[in-house]
Amino acid sequence: MAIDLISYSLVPLFAALIIPFIPRKHRRITEIIANITLLSGIINLGYVIIYYLVLNDYTSYTSDAFTTLMLFTIYLVGMAITFFSTYYEVEKDTNFSSYYSLILVSVSAMCSLVMSRDFFTLYIFMEALSVCSFALITSDSKTFSIEAAIKYFFLTFPASVLIIFGISLLMINYGTFDFDTIKFTSMNFLTFVSLSFIILGFLIKAGIVPFHFWTPDVYEGSYSPVSAYMAGIVTKVGGIYAIIKIVMLLSSYGFGSNLSKLLLFTGFLSVFVGAIAATVQKNMKRMLAYSSISQMGYIILAAATFSPIGIIAAVFHLINHATFKTVLFLNSACVEKSTGTTNMDELKGLEHRMPWTSWTSIIALFSTAGLPPLSGFWSKLLIILALWQSGHIFYAVAALIASVFTLAYFTIMQKKVFFGKLPEKFNDIKEAKYQLLIPVVVISLIIIFTGVFFNRVFPYFERILS
Amino acid sequence: MNTNTNISNLILIPILIPFISAFLILLISEKTKYLKEVLSIAVALLCFIASITLLRLVGENPIIYQIPWLGYREMMAFRVDHLSAFLLFAVSMFSTLISIYAISVKNKGYSKIFYFLLLLTQSAAAGSVLSDNLIAMLFFWESMVVFLYVYIYISGEGYAVRKAALKTFLINGISDIAMMIGIVIVGYISDTYLMSSISSNKLILSGWGTIAYIMLLIGALTKAGAFPFHTWIPDAALNSNAAFMAYIPAAIDKLLGIYFLARISIYLYSLNTTMQVILMAIGAITILVAVMMALVQSDYKRLLSYHAVSQTGYMILGIGTLNPIGIAGGLFHMINHASYKSCLFMTSGAVERETGTNDISKLGGLFSRMPVTAICFIVAAASISGIAPFNGFFSKELVYKGTLASGWTLFFYAAELGSILTLASFLKLGHSVFFGSCPENLKDTKEAPYSMIIPMILLAAICIVFGFGADIPVSKFIEPSLSSLGVVVGNIELAGFHTDSLFIIFLVVVIIAVTNHIIGFRLSGKAYKSSDHIHHAPVLKETYAMADKGYFDIYEISRYIFAYFAGIMFKVDRFFDKLIDDIPSAITRWASEQLSRLQSASYRVSMFFIFLFIAIYLLYLGGIKWQ
Amino acid sequence: MIFYLLIYFIIVVAAAMAIMSKKLLNSAVMLALLSIGISILLFAYNAPWAAVFELSVCAGLITVLFISAVSLVKNDEDALKEKRVKYTVFPLMLVGFAVIASIFVPEYFANLFQFASFNPSNNPPLGDMIWLYRGFDIIGQITLLAASIFVIKHIFTKETKNEH
Repeated sequence: MAIDLISYSLVPLFAALIIPFIPRKHRRITEIIANITLLSGIINLGYVIIYYLVLNDYTSYTSDAFTTLMLFTIYLVGMAITFFSTYYEVEKDTNFSSYYSLILVSVSAMCSLVMSRDFFTLYIFMEALSVCSFALITSDSKTFSIEAAIKYFFLTFPASVLIIFGISLLMINYGTFDFDTIKFTSMNFLTFVSLSFIILGFLIKAGIVPFHFWTPDVYEGSYSPVSAYMAGIVTKVGGIYAIIKIVMLLSSYGFGSNLSKLLLFTGFLSVFVGAIAATVQKNMKRMLAYSSISQMGYIILAAATFSPIGIIAAVFHLINHATFKTVLFLNSACVEKSTGTTNMDELKGLEHRMPWTSWTSIIALFSTAGLPPLSGFWSKLLIILALWQSGHIFYAVAALIASVFTLAYFTIMQKKVFFGKLPEKFNDIKEAKYQLLIPVVVISLIIIFTGVFFNRVFPYFERILS
Repeated sequence: MNTNTNISNLILIPILIPFISAFLILLISEKTKYLKEVLSIAVALLCFIASITLLRLVGENPIIYQIPWLGYREMMAFRVDHLSAFLLFAVSMFSTLISIYAISVKNKGYSKIFYFLLLLTQSAAAGSVLSDNLIAMLFFWESMVVFLYVYIYISGEGYAVRKAALKTFLINGISDIAMMIGIVIVGYISDTYLMSSISSNKLILSGWGTIAYIMLLIGALTKAGAFPFHTWIPDAALNSNAAFMAYIPAAIDKLLGIYFLARISIYLYSLNTTMQVILMAIGAITILVAVMMALVQSDYKRLLSYHAVSQTGYMILGIGTLNPIGIAGGLFHMINHASYKSCLFMTSGAVERETGTNDISKLGGLFSRMPVTAICFIVAAASISGIAPFNGFFSKELVYKGTLASGWTLFFYAAELGSILTLASFLKLGHSVFFGSCPENLKDTKEAPYSMIIPMILLAAICIVFGFGADIPVSKFIEPSLSSLGVVVGNIELAGFHTDSLFIIFLVVVIIAVTNHIIGFRLSGKAYKSSDHIHHAPVLKETYAMADKGYFDIYEISRYIFAYFAGIMFKVDRFFDKLIDDIPSAITRWASEQLSRLQSASYRVSMFFIFLFIAIYLLYLGGIKWQ
Repeated sequence: MIFYLLIYFIIVVAAAMAIMSKKLLNSAVMLALLSIGISILLFAYNAPWAAVFELSVCAGLITVLFISAVSLVKNDEDALKEKRVKYTVFPLMLVGFAVIASIFVPEYFANLFQFASFNPSNNPPLGDMIWLYRGFDIIGQITLLAASIFVIKHIFTKETKNEH
C-alpha cells in the first residue's frame, strides 16, 4: 500500500466511527462532521493536484499521480453527494440513521482500494464497498429500492466469486499478490487465465454488457443522491479501476492480443446497447443508467487497446464520466424533488422555472456527447485516436457513430424535460434550493475548465503511465 | 512572444465584458424588472469609457495585443490605431444610447433575449473593429449575422416577420461566405493574415487579387447596405422594432461596413482607376435608386431605411474617390449618418409607441403634441439633407469636393440630384407627420418617455456640435484615422465654412427641393401625397410598379431561380431522407424496444443470463490458449 | 485416497442438502458441516492455520450467527410459501455436472500444478505474516467491520421503525 496517502482513507473511517456516538436528535452535527471531513480532504487534494499542474514538480510529494487523481475524484463525488443529501430530504421516512456513516465508510474503502498495491487488499476493500452500497441503495424505504438492492447483491456476487477464484489462481503461480511482482515476471497460461477471471469479475461489477442487467434497476430504484454516488464513483472504482490497473500491468509487458479482442468486443457491445436502449426510455434515471453503461463501454474500448494512449484516454474518460454523471443524476434528483416525478413524458418546459438546473444539465450532456471545448470532447478524441492508432479502425468508426446516438438521446431528454412550454401543473415549482445547486455548479465548472485548459491538464495524465 | 502591456489589456474590455454580461442576463429570470436594462446600460457605459481612454492613449504607435491561440502565434491579434479607436468610440456610444432607448420600446420580444443579443452584438462589433487578424475579424463579423437574424425573428409574430428574417440571414450569410473566400485568397496571396503586415506591402488588383477584392467588396457592401445588396433593410424595417433599426442597420452595420471598405480599399490594396470608377458608380447608383424608392414610401420606418441605403451611397462615393478629401468625407459622413439616422429611427420609435402606427397617411400634426421629438426630427432631417450648418452639410461638402477633384463630374451631378430628392422626401415626411392637421384619434398623444427622449436629444446635439464645430471631429477623429490608413493629407484644409461655388449650389438645391414639395402639395392636396407627381410620372410609374413587385431585387430574382431547382432537389432529398432518417430510426426504435424487453424484472432470469455469458466468455478464453 | 473421497463426498452432500432443505435451520447446520469438512481437508493439505481459522470462523461464529438469525425470524417462516422446482432437478444436475467434470477437470488441474511455484517450507511465522507483511489487512478488517455494522444498523433500524 502507498503509505503516504493513507490518511485519506483513515480520516473518513474515524469520522464514520464517531458518528454513531452522537445522539439521534442532533442530526445536524452528524451532517456537519460528514461534510467537513470530506471537505477537508478535497481541499487538501485540490491543493496537491493544482500544485502538480501548475508547478510541474511532483517528485517531492508522492510518486503516484494516478492514485492522487483517483482520490481527488472520490472525494469530489463523495463531497458532492454528502452536501447534496444534507439538503435533499424528500420523504419523511428516509432512513438517516447510518447514512452518513455508510457514505464515509465507503469513501474510506474506495480510497484504500485505489491505494492498494496487491490484489487481495483490492478485493477486501471492494467487498467492503459492495456491502456499503447494498445498504445505501435502500435508503428510502420504497419497495423498489429494496428490490434494487437485492438484485445488486444477487447479480454481482458471482463477480466476487470469480475474482477470488482468479486471485487464488494467481497465488498458486506466484506465491504473492503484489502488483510489482506480477509486472516483471514472465506471462504464462495460468497467469493469463487468472487475470481473465479477475477481469471478468470486475466487468460484471462495472455493469458492462452482457452483464449489465443489474444496472438500470439499481440506478433507477435507489435513493436519488445514492444513484448519483453509485453511477459517479462506485461502479468506477469498484469495477473499471481494477481493469485499468490490470491493463497497465499487461501493457507494460506488451501482451494480450486475444484478450484485447474480447475486451474490445465487450466494450463495443456496451457502447451500442447502452446507447440504443437509452433512446426509448421513459424514466429519466433509467435513461441515465443506460447512458452510464454506454460510457463505461467507451472506457473499456480505450483500455482494451493496451497502448499508452489508450490507458490515458481510459483514465481521463473515467474521471470525466464521474463528473458528468454526478451532475446529471443530481440534476434529476433536483427535478424529482421539485416536481415529484422523473417520468419524461410528464415533465415539460422546466427551463423557465429551473434555469440553473437546465444549463448545468446542458453542459454535462454536451460534454458526454463530446462537444468541444468541454472535457468530454478531449477524452472522446483520445479514445478514438487510441483505437485508430492501434489499428482497430472498425471500432474507432463505431465509437464515432455511437457519439451521434449519445447526442441524440441526450438531446431528446433535454428537449422533453427542459425546453418547451411549461404546463399548468408545474406553474409554481421553484428552482432547487441554492445549496442543492452548489455541488452541481462546482462540478460543471470543473467540466468546463478541464476542457478549456486541457493543454495544461494533459501532461499530468502522461505522468500516470510512469 | 508577448507584446502585451497593461494598457493593451484595455482592449479586452469592450469585447469580453459584454460577452460575459450577455450570458449573465440570460441566467436572470424574466421576473426582475429593471436589472437587465440597468446591467446593459452599465456595461455599455463601461465600454464607452474604455473606448475614450483608448482613444486618448493611442499616440504614434498603435496599441497591440496578441493572444496566441491554439498554437498560432498571431491568431487573436488586436490593434488599435486611430481609425479603430474612433470606430470603437462610435460603436460604444451608440450601444449606450440604444440601451437607454430600448427601455421603452414595447415589441422587442422576450426582453432578456433582446438584451442578450444587444450585448453580444456590441461585443462582436468591438471585436470586428479592433482585430488585426483577418480571420479573427471574420469570426466576429459572421457572428453578428446570427444575432441579426434572431433580432428580427423575435420582433413579432407572423409570416412576414419570418420571411424578413430569413431574407436578412440569407443575404448577409451569402455575403459573408464571399467575404470568407476573399479573406482566404488574401491570406494566400500575402502569406499572412495580419492587416498591418499586409498594409506594409499593399496588394494590387491582378488575377487573384481582383477576385479577392471583389469578394471582400461584396461583404462590405452588404453589411453597409449598398445597391444591389440592400434589399434586406427595408423589409426588416417594416417588421421589426425601432430600437433594433436604430441600432443595427442605421449605426452598427454602416460603421462596420464602411470601416471594412476603407480598410480594404485603402489600407490593404492600392486600387487603380477602373475600380475607382466602379466604386463611385456603385455609390452614385445607390444614392439615386434608394432615394427614388424612398420618395414613394408610406411607412415611416421603411422610408427611413431607404434613406439609410441612400446615404451609404455617399459614403461609398467618398471613399471611392481615393483622394484624401473624399475619403475624409466618406468617413465623416459615416459617423454623421450614424448619428442622425439613429436619431430619426428613434423618433419613429417614439411616434410608433405613442400613436401606435407607422403609416404616415394616418399621422399628422404631432408637432404640438410631441414637441421634443419633433425638434429632434427637424434637426436630424436637416442634417441628412445637408443643410448648413448641421453636420450633414460638412460631410457632404467634403464628398462633393472629392468627387470634383477626381474629375468625374457625372457622379457629382448624381449626388446633387440625390440631395434634392432627399430634402424633398424629408419635407414630405416632416410635413405629413408633424405638421398639418391632426386626425381625430391622435388628438391626445403624449410626449415620449424620458428614456426615449434623452438619447434623441443627445444625438441631435451631436448633429449640431459636429456641424457648428466641425473642426472637432475632423481634427480629432478623421485626420488621425486618415493618417493611420496611410493617406497623406498634406496641406488641405478639411473643415471650415467656405462660401464658394459649392455653397451656391447648395442653395440652389434647397430651392429646387422646396419648390418641388410645394408643387406636389398643391397638386395632391395632402401632405403625404406630395411626392405623387413623381410617383406617377410616365416612365417612373411603371418602374415603381416593377420595383414594388421585386423585379429589381437580386434576392427575389435568385429566389425565383432557386425555387425551380428547389423543387427538384426536394424530391431527391425526400428519397435520401427516407434512407438516412426514417429507416435507421425505425430500426433503432425496434432494437431498443427489444433490448428493453430483454431486461426482465425477475432477477432469476438475469442471473441465468449472467451465468450464460460467463460461460461463453470462459469458453472463448479457453479456446485461445493464451496467445 | 478413500479418506479424501469420503471428505469430498461429505462436502458435496452437505452443500446439496444446504441448498435443498426446506427449513432454514437445517441449511445452517449443513453449512456448518460443510465448513468442518473443508477444514479437515485443509488440515490434510498441510495448511494448519487456514484450517484453524476456517473452523473457528465458519463452523463456529457464522453458524452461531445464522442460527440466532433463523430463530429470530421463526414465526414468519411458516407464512412464506416457496416456489420450488421439482425436487429431483437439482441432484440430477449435480450428478450430471460431476460426470462432465470428472472427464475434463482432472486434466486441467494436472496442468495447473506444473505452474505451482509455492514452496510451503518458506512460510514465515504467523505473527510476522499478519503484522509485517499484511499489516494493511487490519485496516481492511476495520473497514469491513464498520461497513457491516452500519449496514445492519441502516437496514434493520428501518424495519423496526416500520413496525410502529
